[in-house]
Amino acid sequence: MPKEQKVEYSQLEAGYEFPPSRYTLDHSIVATYLRAVEDSSSLYQDTELVPPLAIAAYAMASLSESISLPSGTIHASQELEFIDTVNINDILISYARVSRQQSRGKFHLLSINFNVFNQRQQAVLAGKTSFILPEQTGGR
Amino acid sequence: MEMSLGQLSELSEGMNLPESKKIITQANINLYAEASQDFNPIHIDEDFAKKTPLGGTIAHGMLILAYVSQMMSAAFGRSWLAGGKLNVRFKTPARPGDTIVVSGTISRIEKGEGQTLIHCDVLCRNQNGETVITGGTSVRVEKRE
Repeated sequence: MPKEQKVEYSQLEAGYEFPPSRYTLDHSIVATYLRAVEDSSSLYQDTELVPPLAIAAYAMASLSESISLPSGTIHASQELEFIDTVNINDILISYARVSRQQSRGKFHLLSINFNVFNQRQQAVLAGKTSFILPEQTGGR
Repeated sequence: MEMSLGQLSELSEGMNLPESKKIITQANINLYAEASQDFNPIHIDEDFAKKTPLGGTIAHGMLILAYVSQMMSAAFGRSWLAGGKLNVRFKTPARPGDTIVVSGTISRIEKGEGQTLIHCDVLCRNQNGETVITGGTSVRVEKRE
């Protein structure tokens, strides 16, 4: 999504639904992810399994394509539930909505719930991510 | 069940999960940015990051959280991938050069019909003893005949 189509975080209200995001984690992405986090677990060697945090990271990356967050944004907390395993090349669809947006002095608190489904419409992951954003106008 | 921590019956409240230690490098942060598609300059642009109150680049919170997930999957195998939950707070940023110690303790075991729910306290600290991540996890382990 081009930057000019991004939603300013200050315009978000509780209940706002982001456009669904579709993504696939292929062998190359998973291999890069495993190298980045230095995970040599046998769970992912010679199997098609995707690390659950990689699924969550991509769901969150798709959010960042939709929102313009200011520099100085802090990832404050994270909840995740791994409902079912995901295999490499599964087609995932992430649905996200704002669950809380409130001001606290010079800061804003933004919480977003997201749910990820596979190509069989089965839930595979649910999460809630919260950011603390500095009060300012415009995105980075 | 594929647990490496031990058989379910051997687990007890207060038991520690195998601790791990990770050294944060800018190379890993850059690779994580590529893998996660999170190119926020606070993580990868040293010139930009120096001008912010943080004074330098920091690791993605989700990168450090991945270490917690590794500890859980090492202990509980596939049960973590389909039956795991976590709820954590990011307290202090991790920076290149930091050594992160990832630890966990079984806080509660709930035995039910056909499955056991294991709750853990998890913690990531840096080399100065500062808390980077703190929170809880749980994992549902199905009993097999």
